[in-house]
Amino acid sequence: MDLDFLRIVPSIPFILNGIWVTLLFVLVAAIIGFIIGTILSLFKISNISWLKWFADAYTSIFRGTPLILQLMIFYFATPQLTGYDIPAFLAGILAFGLNSGAYISEIIRAGIQAVDDGQREAAEALGVPYKPMMKDIILPQALKNILPALLNEFVTLTKESAIVSTIGFLDIMRRAQVVSANTYTAFEPLLVAGLIYYLLVMGLTQLGGLLERRLRKSE
Amino acid sequence: MSNAFIKIEDLHKSFGKLDVLKGISTTIQKGEVISIIGPSGSGKSTFLRCINLLEKPTSGRIWVGDDEITDKSTDIMKVRQNVGMVFQHFHLFPHKTVLENITYAPMKVKGISKAEAEKIAYDLLEQVGLAEKAGQYPNRLSGGQKQRVAIARALAMSPDVMLFDEPTSALDPEMVKEVLEVMRSLAETGMTMAIVTHEMGFAKEVADRVLFLDGGVLVEDVPPEEFFSNPKSQRAQDFLEKVL
Ligand SMILES: Nc1ncnc2c1ncn2[C@@H]1O[C@H](COP(=O)(O)OP(=O)(O)OP(=O)(O)O)[C@@H](O)[C@H]1O
Ligand SMILES: [Mg+2]
Repeated sequence: MDLDFLRIVPSIPFILNGIWVTLLFVLVAAIIGFIIGTILSLFKISNISWLKWFADAYTSIFRGTPLILQLMIFYFATPQLTGYDIPAFLAGILAFGLNSGAYISEIIRAGIQAVDDGQREAAEALGVPYKPMMKDIILPQALKNILPALLNEFVTLTKESAIVSTIGFLDIMRRAQVVSANTYTAFEPLLVAGLIYYLLVMGLTQLGGLLERRLRKSE
Repeated sequence: MSNAFIKIEDLHKSFGKLDVLKGISTTIQKGEVISIIGPSGSGKSTFLRCINLLEKPTSGRIWVGDDEITDKSTDIMKVRQNVGMVFQHFHLFPHKTVLENITYAPMKVKGISKAEAEKIAYDLLEQVGLAEKAGQYPNRLSGGQKQRVAIARALAMSPDVMLFDEPTSALDPEMVKEVLEVMRSLAETGMTMAIVTHEMGFAKEVADRVLFLDGGVLVEDVPPEEFFSNPKSQRAQDFLEKVL
């Protein structure tokens, strides 16, 4: 097999610029996912049965269907149903944010339930109402415990984000495909993209490890 | 008994089919220290936890001060601010410093300013002999120190009553004394206290009354001298034989 990287060298900056596009995409999707996940997790542990039911149904649907299908639905069904010509970026972060919200809600729910029940009792015995108790006592401890799982979710999002290339969003993956088509090279741009994803994932994992150690030390 | 500070009337509590408290009635006067004693599983913790509504009584009525706390219209949060509780396993907030553990509830619940809350906290830390630990995180403290912080944390809400559920049972023997000392001096300040304990010596010395629970029934409710030297019931006699 002969690979010809020279031919794509002029296009490499174009692919590299995709890093920011991908990272921004993942960041926004993760923030949306985190907010939705937090709310859903609170629903799941509440005693209000329809909130529980809603959160469980939500989770079940988003985890039970392929992400690429959800993405397609947001991208193609929105214009058809509402007439709004949804941009790829918006469809992408909606699909990814709502999807990861389902996964993150499970992570946070487990994290909350892993906090010693005595913490809740101690707060209750002091007369602390539910909201500040959750916000100041339970969630900070839960988040600390689940930080590795959350970072893992972020890494997964980074890799999976390549799916948005299918709706034409110019992320790393899509850029590699564009270069591939323009330069008549099949593998080389993909290898470059693969290397970038790998380095990104490694970098994020390292960063996560660092953050985790920092947090552990602060206690 | 008309000026009882806490009044408990025919208190029942069951968990599903399990009847844990089977009709307990008693009163506690302002400034009184009572010890709750009984075999494991007799319902001591459940009884105590009903007084701040950590457990919801199945039936019966409880008054704390002028409020009937079992009345539906009573604000549970208000009741709890007025009833401090100390747990066997401390339950300090691990992500907050000793100082923050103590100032959190007064600031959050009572809306006291930070400066004022810290002043109260330092006074209380002084009182429990831990002023130099204010900036530490709980995991740096010994069990006895943790429990003294937990006592200070409860006192920071200036409650009228303090409940203790086996406050020394999780401690190494050499740390029991420092916690009992704090409790003893608290009793001397006139605090109304209800203490579930296995420390018979302490109960004998500090308590004004002993409540002996067995199988969810209040079997004896007498002064400690009487309970320890001359228990009326067979069950109390058997129990004392085992523990003394
Ligand atoms: N939340 C609960 N759900 C179900 N059963 C419970 C619950 N809390 C307590 N029980 C049961 O109620 C009974 C009395 O428990 P409680 O903790 O009040 O006893 P105790 O006298 O404090 O015992 P110990 O000396 O072991 O602390 C026990 O049989 C216990 O298993
Ligand atoms: Mg108990």
